[in-house]
Amino acid sequence: MEEIKEDIMAYLQNKSFMDSGTQLNDDDSLTMKGIIDSIGLIEFIDFICEKYSIEIPEELLTPENFDSISGIVNVIQKLTK
Amino acid sequence: MKIIDELNKDAEKNASQIRTFIEEKVKDFKKKGIVVGVSGGIDSAVILALAVQAVGKENVYGLILPETESASSSKELGARLCESLDVSYEEVPITPILQALDIYGKKDQIIKRTCLEYDPNIHKTSLVLPSLLENDMLTIPSISLVKDDEMVAKNRLKAKDYLELIGIQNVKQRSRMLIQYLYAEKNNYLVCGTTNKTEYLLGQFVKYGDGGVDIEPLSDCYKTQVYALADVLGIDKEIIERPPSADTWSSYTSDEDFFWRMPIHIMDQLLYSQEHDLPMEIIEENTELSEETINKAKRGIDKIKSASKYITSGPPICYLDK
Repeated sequence: MEEIKEDIMAYLQNKSFMDSGTQLNDDDSLTMKGIIDSIGLIEFIDFICEKYSIEIPEELLTPENFDSISGIVNVIQKLTK
Repeated sequence: MKIIDELNKDAEKNASQIRTFIEEKVKDFKKKGIVVGVSGGIDSAVILALAVQAVGKENVYGLILPETESASSSKELGARLCESLDVSYEEVPITPILQALDIYGKKDQIIKRTCLEYDPNIHKTSLVLPSLLENDMLTIPSISLVKDDEMVAKNRLKAKDYLELIGIQNVKQRSRMLIQYLYAEKNNYLVCGTTNKTEYLLGQFVKYGDGGVDIEPLSDCYKTQVYALADVLGIDKEIIERPPSADTWSSYTSDEDFFWRMPIHIMDQLLYSQEHDLPMEIIEENTELSEETINKAKRGIDKIKSASKYITSGPPICYLDK
């Protein structure tokens, strides 16, 4: 779990609109904090699929699953089991 | 209050104001007339009719600009409209421009990468986004394959393919802009836009495509108000009843399905309520939607507005200290 979180944080720090000093908690909204926009979200999902060699079923593509670090980690864990 | 009644009232007055606007702008810009891209849709039909009333049919030129993937009804309805208003017009297909840039080939490659089963000889295609009202889904675009009017496949687009596809598709509207200016400048005419307020607020036009015009007479009229204008102008019922569409996909994709992602009367009521800062109970009463659904739709609208901010902005100018 910690490794997935580190991957995600590294991606967001390098590829999103997140400022270097931003403190991000696991349940913070990535869209409300302006870290991810609509195109950024599609890019982020591409990254997750490629990095973990997974396909994300359409029914899992919800804001609840992809708007926070904890939601994203849960989805990845579920699909890589 | 009834929002729809507010939007439907004063159509005659609105028509009069738009006619005056068109007439004044032609004079202000020292031009001799108006070029209108006639798509077979309601917005350009309303503009063409108002332009004829404003500056006279002899000073209006209609351009019908079809391409391979346009619905055949588009040019038929456009031609019928120009003839009914006795406006000079010409059909200038933009297909050769698109072929020269390999737009169709590039588009096919993206669709093939996304949907391995794609066969251009069998399937029509469309770009799909989830509804803003029904499910709480992320705005992730998909390509759908349609065979015999039935969707047979739907696959998610990758970001780089989606971005390339948007650029490819927008060449269509930008090619139309080139042709409109070719004719406008030859005749010393203005190019008249057809973007309505619903589209303007949502950034639902192509920057330097259908947004590349000299005047925008409809941009303070919600789509619902355009329908009211069409009624008072006596626009062809077939044009009024046709589902609005950018008409750039081989499978006819309506604006309700792709851009608004909800019925237009709901979208306009939500946009109107935002503009007038109406309380939730009024919005619930008018739209007959729950507070939860309204809030979900509003979040979706705010995201669309935020994503299209650069489309509705002109190029910012760096003003120097004096």
